[in-house]
Formats: sequence, structure tokens, C-alpha cells
Amino acid sequence: MISDRLKKIICNELYLDPSSIEINDETQAPEVPGWDSLNHANIIVAIEKDYGVRFKGLEILKCNNVGALQNLVDSKVSD
Amino acid sequence: MIDFSSLEGETLWERWQYFAQTTPEKEAIIHWRAVEEPVRWTYSSLFETANKFSVYLKDIGVKKGDVCALIIRHNPYFYPLYLGIAGIGALPSVLAYPNPRLHPDKFRQGLVGMALRSGLDWILTEIELEEVILPFVEDDATTVNELYFPLEWDLEREIDSESIQELSDIRAEIKPEEPMLLQHSSGTTGLQKPVVLTHEAILKHVKNLGKVLNLSDNDKVVSWLPLYHDLGLIGAFHIPLASGIPSIQIDPFEWILAPILLFMATSEEKATLCWIPNFAFNLLADKLSTEEMEGISLESMRLLINAGEPVRAESHKKFHERFEKFGFKKSALTAMYGMAETTLGVSQTTFGEQAKEISVDREMLASGTVVFSDDKTKARVCVSSGEIIDECSLKIVDEFRNEIPGDAVGEIVVKSVSMFSGYRNYPEKTDEVLDKDGWYYTGDIGFVVDEDLYVIGRKKDIIIVAGNNIYPEDVEDVVNKVEKIIPGRIIAFGEDDPELGTEQVSVIAETKLETEDEFDKLRVAILRAGMEVNVNIHSVYLVPPRWLIKSSSGKPSRKANRQRIINKTDEKVWSKND
Repeated sequence: MISDRLKKIICNELYLDPSSIEINDETQAPEVPGWDSLNHANIIVAIEKDYGVRFKGLEILKCNNVGALQNLVDSKVSD
Repeated sequence: MIDFSSLEGETLWERWQYFAQTTPEKEAIIHWRAVEEPVRWTYSSLFETANKFSVYLKDIGVKKGDVCALIIRHNPYFYPLYLGIAGIGALPSVLAYPNPRLHPDKFRQGLVGMALRSGLDWILTEIELEEVILPFVEDDATTVNELYFPLEWDLEREIDSESIQELSDIRAEIKPEEPMLLQHSSGTTGLQKPVVLTHEAILKHVKNLGKVLNLSDNDKVVSWLPLYHDLGLIGAFHIPLASGIPSIQIDPFEWILAPILLFMATSEEKATLCWIPNFAFNLLADKLSTEEMEGISLESMRLLINAGEPVRAESHKKFHERFEKFGFKKSALTAMYGMAETTLGVSQTTFGEQAKEISVDREMLASGTVVFSDDKTKARVCVSSGEIIDECSLKIVDEFRNEIPGDAVGEIVVKSVSMFSGYRNYPEKTDEVLDKDGWYYTGDIGFVVDEDLYVIGRKKDIIIVAGNNIYPEDVEDVVNKVEKIIPGRIIAFGEDDPELGTEQVSVIAETKLETEDEFDKLRVAILRAGMEVNVNIHSVYLVPPRWLIKSSSGKPSRKANRQRIINKTDEKVWSKND
């Protein structure tokens, strides 16, 4: 389940209104308007900053949808 | 240094065969994977597998001169398949694997447009794409004979003596002056221009660029560049392979998600040479944490070549400052200028030197004159793309195509032994850019000082995002169909993003809508329209009716309206990017 916090960070970074955009566990980056490879790095940095965590490049690589990204964030926060 | 005159082989196939025989156990391609061990092809194993693909291709009916489109993701069998196509005199043409954001209809339309010019005869792809591509192949109007999935072929099968003889007969007929590959120069869906290059053109380029790079047997190229891009295909694949040195190939999709992969491969394999577009200098310097860099050494990297989009002095500076402590040498910062039409390179920083930088008066430059200036408020630092390589000529011309002194600003025009002979099945486009004496008009603007070429802009409105060329017309076409936009009252243009070290796509559209909520929704609809053609629109500017300034042709002027937005003087402009 995607937290409102994660959704808000993503939407903020892409200047999207969270109430008008559907983002769920299965959502992949290319389905979200504005989330391309160049913006991807900015979104990851924004998530790291907001949660106070740090991802390794290879960890991100394994996230093939937003659900996996949420799991990664959760695992870091609980460490 | 490699003595290119001593290397045998007048066609690419003969050259690869020469290395398979003389250095069979030397690594040819290291297929890098993020979490698994790399797959290592030696010259002999690569060549043997290529032979097997050649037999299959011959058996399904591929003939000399046929164009074989390759639409395959990062896969170790891509390389022998590519060689196998060339091994029967057919032309490999690497196409981009569709991004999930690209609508299947748009992908098919792109193929139709491409087939029209390039004359695609066969499509070699993955099973996953069957459903998407089949309607195109089954269409009566298509040039394509058949769709095949070569990654499913049984490569354990032994080659019989009859096939060996047939292959040998076919190969004896392949001549150096005949076409070897087809690459697409630039552009988005359907607007790519097909460039055919001969064996001779490529091998001469391998020699001329190899010489200026001072290639030696100890070199090793590392690359994440896609192979449908000339920089990836020629620079990071053909040049090393035809010089007898290894290349490390990283998946571009994986690299953009995990940029550290480039440095992991560099460090572990002791890579010495790499080409990347300017934005990648910024991305690597900004995004890699010290934690990720732990244990990484960049000492082996002797040339990191900035190419594919305008070179920025601040990107070089930032990169060097960030990675000096990891062994990165300042002298490795070099630049190259080139294009698919000249096989790849036109100029390259002289070996042993760092890319030169000069500080010139910005206003004088805009008016067409190069005047040195130290006044920081008025100066623009230009980075040289190096000296012209051997067997290549260059001149600077004015708008009437008259040659002007090199230190005046004008269009860059080139001629080389590795030049294309015109766009395939596109005579009207060829006539626009190639004159009767064989000079190619690049559309790029630049000047020459002390034999160094400086590229500072473009004649046309092409937008270069992270090394990819995007035509504003493509973006305008799809956005024009979005509801609530006044038809025809829209422009797309490139907006500088100094932080990313590249350009981003921006759109200005006229609309009668007035509320914040409506603007928000329209913006998302415009972003989605861009996604259909795989273009990420970064900034949307919504303006009231009759806001856009028209050019003399009656259409909205890209230049004038872009300037109005950049000046940020108009309060009637709505955008989210403040």
C-alpha cells in the first residue's frame, strides 16, 4: 500500500495534484506524467531527503514499481 | 599505439575474422549486468556464434543488401546476432526498444515511417513484442518480409560443411565499398533519417579516430550508451571491435536508474575510454554519494569524451572537482564533435591535452564575431570540440553558403572519407544538406580558433535532451490534439537546464480556460500527449488567446515566443515551474 507521504513527495516533485493522479503498488514510473529518466534521479533524492534515508543505486534498480519503492523506503526507515 | 595499417581486413567481417584468428582468446565484449556476473565474449567465441546466426539468417531467406531491424533489449546474444547479419552481407539496423510509456500505435507508426525510407526487410526482435509488431508486418503495404525471434534459436546446432561453403561464397562477394549498416541520424517517431555506411567508410573512421585517440592494445572502452545511437554504435561498439580491444556494454535503462554502474564497471575492469553526453557529467557528479563511491577507482580512465550534445565548461569543472579524489585525471576531460552522417567523429581533443576553453564576449558572439573577453559579466566560456581528424575537412559558411573566415561564426560544413552518400530513399532531404561537391551542411553553428572547433548552437530548432534529438514539430503535432487548446496555437522549444547540463522540452499553448484547476488538468493532459510519443515535456506554459507572436509565415514563432518566456516579463503566463 502506497503511503500518502510517498505519493505526495512524488507529486510535489512532478508538480502534480495528488488527488487527480492514481498511483498504486503496481504503478510504474513511465505511467506517471513527467516521471522520466531525468526526473527519476530528482524524485529519488526528494524521497531520501524527506525520509532521511539513503538508497544505493543497485537497490533502486530492483524497484520495478512504486510498491517496491515503498517497501524499500519502509525497510530503510525501520533499520 | 595500434598500427592500423598492419591490421588485415577490408570489410568489417574480415576484420573481425582477423582478430578471431590472431587473438582468439582476447576479450571482445564484456556484457555487463547489474546484479549478475558479466557475460564475456572472446573474439573467437563471438565469431563462432555469429557464424551460427549467419546460417540461420541465410536459411530463413535473408539476402545480401537486406535491411534487418534489430529491436532487442540488453542481451548478450545481441552482439553475435549483429555480426551474423553483417556476415551474410545484410545490413543491421538497431532500433530503440519501445519504452513502456510509448503508445503501441505510435510505436507502429514510427516503424511504418521508418520502413518507408529505410526499406526494412526483416524484423528481428523479442517474443514480447510480437503482438505489437505483427499488425505492421501483416499489413499489405509493408516492405517487411517477416518477423523473427532470434533469441529463441538453438545455437547448439552444428554448422554443416555445405553451409560453411555457402557462407564462404557469400562473404567472398562482400566488397569494401558496399553498404555495411544502416543507422538513423536523429529525430523522434517516423522522422528519422536513414544513413547507410559502407565497410570502407567505417574502417577508415576506425583508423582516423583510433589514431587521434591514440588507441593501444591495452585500451578498454566502457559504455552505457544505447546502440541505436551513433555514439554508442560506432564509438563504443564498432571502433573497439574493429581495433581489437574490448568494450564493456552496460544496459542504458539500468544505468539511468543506477548511474554508479558505469564507475563500478570502470573500476573493476580498469576501463580506459568512455563517451558520454554532457548531461551525464552533471548527473554523475550530482547523484553519486560518497557511500556509493566507496572502493571505486577512476585512475584507469584516460579519456572521458564529452559528445552528443553541446559541451559545457561548468559540467567539466563540476565533474573533475567531484571525482578527483577517486583518481579521475583532469587530462581525461576531452570532447568530440560528430554525427551519424560522417560515421561519427569530425573533431576530437588532441591526445594528451584537456579540452580547451576560451572566454569570449557573449554579445559579439551572438552578432557573429569572436572577441576574447575576461569580463565575467559579459563573457561566455566556450569549450573546444578539438581539432579536425585526419581525412576530414571543415569550413564555416554564412547563410548564403559562402565560406567565411574560421573565426567568424557560421554554419559548420564538413566533408570526409567516412561520409554517407545521402539519406536512403530521401532525395529531397539529401539535396538540402549535401552539395554537388560532397560538402555536408550540418545545421550546427560554430567557429574555429587556432585549429580548434567550437560548436555553440544550431541553425534549426532541434531540441537536444540528454543527447537525444527531438523535433519540436513532433511534440507540437501531438499536443495540438489535446482538448481545450486553441488548435495551431502552440509551440515547443528547448529550454536550458543548467542544473542537469542539458535542454528540456517546454511547450507554450494558448487556451481560453481561466481557473487554476482547469490549468492543472490541461497541463497533465499535455504531459500525457507528450508521453504518447515518448517525449517528456518538462514545462508547460499556458497563455490566453492571441498571446503567441506570429512569424512572417503566419505560424507562431518559436524563437520570439521562447524569448518572451525566458525573459519572464509577462504576467499572463501560467506555469508550475516557478
